[in-house]
Amino acid sequence: MIAATLRTTAPILLVALGGSFTTKAGIFNIGLEGQMLAGAFFAVIGSIWTGSAFAGVACGVAAALAFALAFAVLVVTFRANEVVVGLALNILAGGMTISLMKAIFGTRGSIVGHGIVGLPKVQIPGAQALLGSWAPLISGFTPIVYVAFIAVPLLVLFYNRTRLGLYIRVVGEKPEAAEALGISITRVRYTASLLCGLLAGLAGAHLSLGYITMFTENMSSGRGFMAVAILIFSNGDPLKVLAGCLLFGFADAFSLRLQTFGFPSYLVLTVPYVVALTALFALSYRARPKIIKETLASMQKLLSVDRNSSAPVDKNPQ
Amino acid sequence: MSDRLRAFSGQIIAVGVALLLGAIIILLVGESPVRVLMTLLRGAFGDQEKIAGTLLQTTPILICGVAACIGLRGGMFNVGIEGQLFLGGFAAAWVGFSFSLPAGIHMLAALALAVVAGAAWVAIPAFFRARYNTNEVVSTILSNYIAVLLTSYFTIFLFKRPGGWSETPPILATAYLPEIFSFSRLNWGLVIGLLLAVGVALVFRYTSWGYGVTMVGSAPKFAEYGGVNVKRQGFVVLLLSGAVGGLAGGVETLGVHHRFMEGFAPGFGFDGLIAALLANGSPVATIVTALFFGALRSGSLLLEVDTSASREIITVIQALIILSVSAQVLIKRRGDSQAGERRWKF
Repeated sequence: MIAATLRTTAPILLVALGGSFTTKAGIFNIGLEGQMLAGAFFAVIGSIWTGSAFAGVACGVAAALAFALAFAVLVVTFRANEVVVGLALNILAGGMTISLMKAIFGTRGSIVGHGIVGLPKVQIPGAQALLGSWAPLISGFTPIVYVAFIAVPLLVLFYNRTRLGLYIRVVGEKPEAAEALGISITRVRYTASLLCGLLAGLAGAHLSLGYITMFTENMSSGRGFMAVAILIFSNGDPLKVLAGCLLFGFADAFSLRLQTFGFPSYLVLTVPYVVALTALFALSYRARPKIIKETLASMQKLLSVDRNSSAPVDKNPQ
Repeated sequence: MSDRLRAFSGQIIAVGVALLLGAIIILLVGESPVRVLMTLLRGAFGDQEKIAGTLLQTTPILICGVAACIGLRGGMFNVGIEGQLFLGGFAAAWVGFSFSLPAGIHMLAALALAVVAGAAWVAIPAFFRARYNTNEVVSTILSNYIAVLLTSYFTIFLFKRPGGWSETPPILATAYLPEIFSFSRLNWGLVIGLLLAVGVALVFRYTSWGYGVTMVGSAPKFAEYGGVNVKRQGFVVLLLSGAVGGLAGGVETLGVHHRFMEGFAPGFGFDGLIAALLANGSPVATIVTALFFGALRSGSLLLEVDTSASREIITVIQALIILSVSAQVLIKRRGDSQAGERRWKF
C-alpha cells in the first residue's frame, strides 16, 4: 500500500513541482493538464519510433515544453488571460492527441502494443539485504519516481539558495520590486514556464511509460487540475506540495484498494477528486484570517514605501 | 462604436489565423484542408436535415454559453458547466421516468428540477468562492469529474434499464420537449435557448442588478465603493450560471435522448464556455458563436465518415481560435502595467 502510494504520487508530484515554478513566478497555470497529456502521448510515440524508453521520455518532455512555450508566449508576451489560455491549451492537447492517434494508428481509444518500450525498473543494490521485506519501499521503481522525490529537496535549495530561485520568487511576489531591480520579468517568467513544462513532460511520460505502457484518451484524467489545487493551497512551496501530493497519491491508491473490496467503481473513482475539493475548501477556509492579515501588512508596507521612497526587497515572510 | 467595430474585425482576423493554423495541422495529419472544409460545410449545411442537425447541436452549446456569459459578466469562471449539465440531465430524466404527470406540467417539472440540480451542484464551490475566495476555476473543474462519475453511478447502479445499455429507462412521452419539424429531432429547446440569450442580455442591459453584476465583473473595488455587496452577488451569479447549465442538460435529455445515458453530452459545457469567451461574454453574440461551433460539431460527424481525419480535429480548431483571439486583442492593451491584475476580458 505504501509502495503503491509512492507510485501513484510520483506523476502528480512531478507536475505539481513543475507548477511550483510558475506559481512562484506569479502565474496561475491551469494548463498543466494539457502539458502532461501531450507529454504522455509523445512519450509513447517517441518510444515506438526509436525503440528506446528514454528517447520516448525525451520526446514527451519536448512536447510538453512546446506547450509550455506557447503558454508563455501568450500569457507573458501577449498578456492574454491565464485561465483562458490554459483551458484552451488543455482542450488543444485533448483534441490533438486523439486526432494524431487516429491519423497514425487508425484507432480511437487507446494505443497498446505497437512496440512501446516501457521504462525499466531500478533495483537498488543492497536494498534487499538492508531492509528485507521492506525493500519495495525504496527499490524497484522507475527512474522517474526517484527523480520526483529527489526533486523536492532540490527545489527547496533552488528557491532558497540560488539566484534564479530568488528572482522567480521576487517576480512572483513583488513584480514592481523586480522591475526596479532591473530583473527582466519576461525572461524570468519564460524560464519558469519552461521549467514547468520540463517536469510536466516527465510526469506525462511516467503515466504512459511508467507502470502501464499504453496511452489512452485523456489519460491524465484531472491530475493536472489536482496539482493546481495543491499549488493553490501550498503556494508552490516544495515541502507543502509534497505533503499535498502524498495525500492525493494515498487517495488514489486507497481508491484502487477499495475497488478490490467490491465498492462500486464509479463511486470509488470520485475519491481523489472529492479529497482534492475538500482540501481546497478546508484550506481556503483556514487561510481566511491570513488573507486579511496579509492585506493589512501589504498596505502598511505600501505606506512605508511611500515615505522612504527607496523600496528594500525584504525576504518574504514564509 | 468604431472601437467595437475594430474589436469585431480583430475577432474575425483571429479566427482567420486560427483556421490557417488548423489547415496546417490538417495537412500534418495527412488530409487536404480544402476537402475537410468542404466536408464540414456539407455536413453542417448540406440539406435541410443537415441544417436542422446543426441547430440541434447548437442548442446545448447556446444554453451552456449563456450560463458561461452570466458567470463571465460577474467576473466568475464557471468551468463546471459540464458537470451541471450532467446533473441537470440526470435530474430531468429522473422526473421524466419516475413520475406520471399531465403533459406539459411533467415537462416543466422536469426542467425545473434540472435547473435546481444545476444550481445545487455549483452551490458549494460558489459559497466558498464568495465567502473565502476559493478559486472557482479549479473547484468547478474538479467537481465536473465527480458529477460525471456520480451520474454514471446513479444510472448504472440505481436505475439501469434491465437488459439495456448504460442508460436509464426512457422518460414518459408527457415529459418530451416537442419537436419543431417532423424530419429532425430538433426541438423547442432551441427556442428556449434563444429566448434565454435575449432575456439575459436584456437583464444585463436594463436592470440595475445586471448593471451591478457587470460592474463587479469589470471593476470589483469600484463596485464595492458603489455599494454593491460583491460577495453575495458573486454567489448569486455563480448559482444562476449553474442553474442555466442544469437547464442545458434538462433540455438535452427531454428533447433529444429521452433518457439519461452515460456520457450523453460530451463537451457541450466546454464548447459553451468557449463560445461565450469568443463572444466576449455577450449572450446575443453567443448565439452566433454557438451556431458556429454547432456547425463545426455537426459537420464533423460527416468528417469522420468521409475523410481520414478524426472529428476531434474540430476541438483543435476551437482551441486555436480561442488562443489566437486571446492573443491578438491584447496587443492593443500593451500599455498597462505588467504587474497589474489581469481580467477575463480579452
